Amino acid sequence: MKPLLASFGVFIRQITRDNMLWAVCFAPLLTALIFRFGVPYVDALLCAYFDRAVLLADYYLLFDLWLCLTPSYMACFASAMVLLAERDENMAAYMAVTPVGKTGYMLSRLILPASLAFFFAMLLTHYSSLTDWDLPVLAAVSLVMSLASTAAALLIFSFSRNKVEGMAMAKIASLLFLGLVAPFFLSSKVQYLAGFLPTFWAAKLAHEKSSLYLFPALVISLLWIGRLSTRFRRKLC
Amino acid sequence: MRLWALLRGDVRFQYKYGFYFLYMFLALLYIGMLSVFPDGWRERAAILMIFSDPAAMGLYFMGAIVLLEKSERTLDSIAVSPARTHEYTLSKLFSIGVISVIVGLTIGLVGGAVKITIQFLVGLLLCSCLFSAVGLVIVARSVSLNSFIISTVPVQLLINLPAAAWLFGWQPSWLLLHPGVSMMQLCMPNRPVLPSGVILASWTLAAWVIANRTVAGMFKQIGGVKL
Repeated sequence: MKPLLASFGVFIRQITRDNMLWAVCFAPLLTALIFRFGVPYVDALLCAYFDRAVLLADYYLLFDLWLCLTPSYMACFASAMVLLAERDENMAAYMAVTPVGKTGYMLSRLILPASLAFFFAMLLTHYSSLTDWDLPVLAAVSLVMSLASTAAALLIFSFSRNKVEGMAMAKIASLLFLGLVAPFFLSSKVQYLAGFLPTFWAAKLAHEKSSLYLFPALVISLLWIGRLSTRFRRKLC
Repeated sequence: MRLWALLRGDVRFQYKYGFYFLYMFLALLYIGMLSVFPDGWRERAAILMIFSDPAAMGLYFMGAIVLLEKSERTLDSIAVSPARTHEYTLSKLFSIGVISVIVGLTIGLVGGAVKITIQFLVGLLLCSCLFSAVGLVIVARSVSLNSFIISTVPVQLLINLPAAAWLFGWQPSWLLLHPGVSMMQLCMPNRPVLPSGVILASWTLAAWVIANRTVAGMFKQIGGVKL
């Protein structure tokens, strides 16, 4: 446990030194403020302009889902960038042969930040959402968002050999979150084409408020993480 | 000749690390997304997509490119080679500009949402060079990829937000001096081309001059010793 915490401490020091820690903390807060106060204001303006009773209100849940994703994605993106930098400097291979080990390295760089982001996402969404959330649904969606963000960070690291490829992969990895919009914009049958994305099931879970969707959400997320973890460990050699 | 060699090296680098493949994929994705937009929105959506991604790719990728060159000691070799700073920066700007223009052209042509004109292509190239030059200025002072990414956020907001606001109808005349707005003007049909072209070219030239100075400073400090 001690080496794990020491390794996590190194990670926190790194992201503090280059100000990423502040971005990870404040970007979700800023997003929450903009969504909580800006979206209803813009909605009112648009409704008046287009002379419509409802315009954005149907998509308030989508804004909440986006907000719920932000802390986890920010934390995991920072982790992925640190992982890439450490690999370019050969630090990752050295860490893997210390008492931290490959699993400890993965835990300290990915799982611990994602776990902290899970609680942050729950608090943030609970206090600044545009729609009403049940606590169990919020916990389940936050969990799936954390797992999906971990999968995105693993994807960035596992399929790139250096920072440049990492940045290119970051663009591809962000497509994992496209699943969020499917239940809102696609018809009932077609939307299931996005079923291979964990975020699709998170959106379904929040949309239908049915715990049935937690099972595919967890299975799909863990399949992504399991497959990518194998590649991650191989990359550390 | 040196510029040509540097340019060839940069294009090879970008090909090797998958830039062409990535943007081919993204172009297809954007074209697919454009096809589901209603007709009235398609042109604006296409311009916004081109402006915020292929045109801005220099700002997104420059940090990773230069920091990788630093960690692989490529910059050490370039610093002591006969290559001049302005050749190094021009090579970076043009090599990324080529991808921006190809992708913008593909989205515009295949998506059928943008009227392809000379001013559109020139505007796209200039805008891409502007973003890349700003990226060079930031990365020359960055110690890590995270610090580069953080530093690019205010720049992206400053360039992107007024341009997006202009595109969706907020059009005070003083905003015409903004580089992003000039790019929008060049992309849209029946707009005054010359003033927008001159404004965008001036911003790009200014950013390139600053980038040259900053990169020259970075070359002098390579290896931990200030020369």
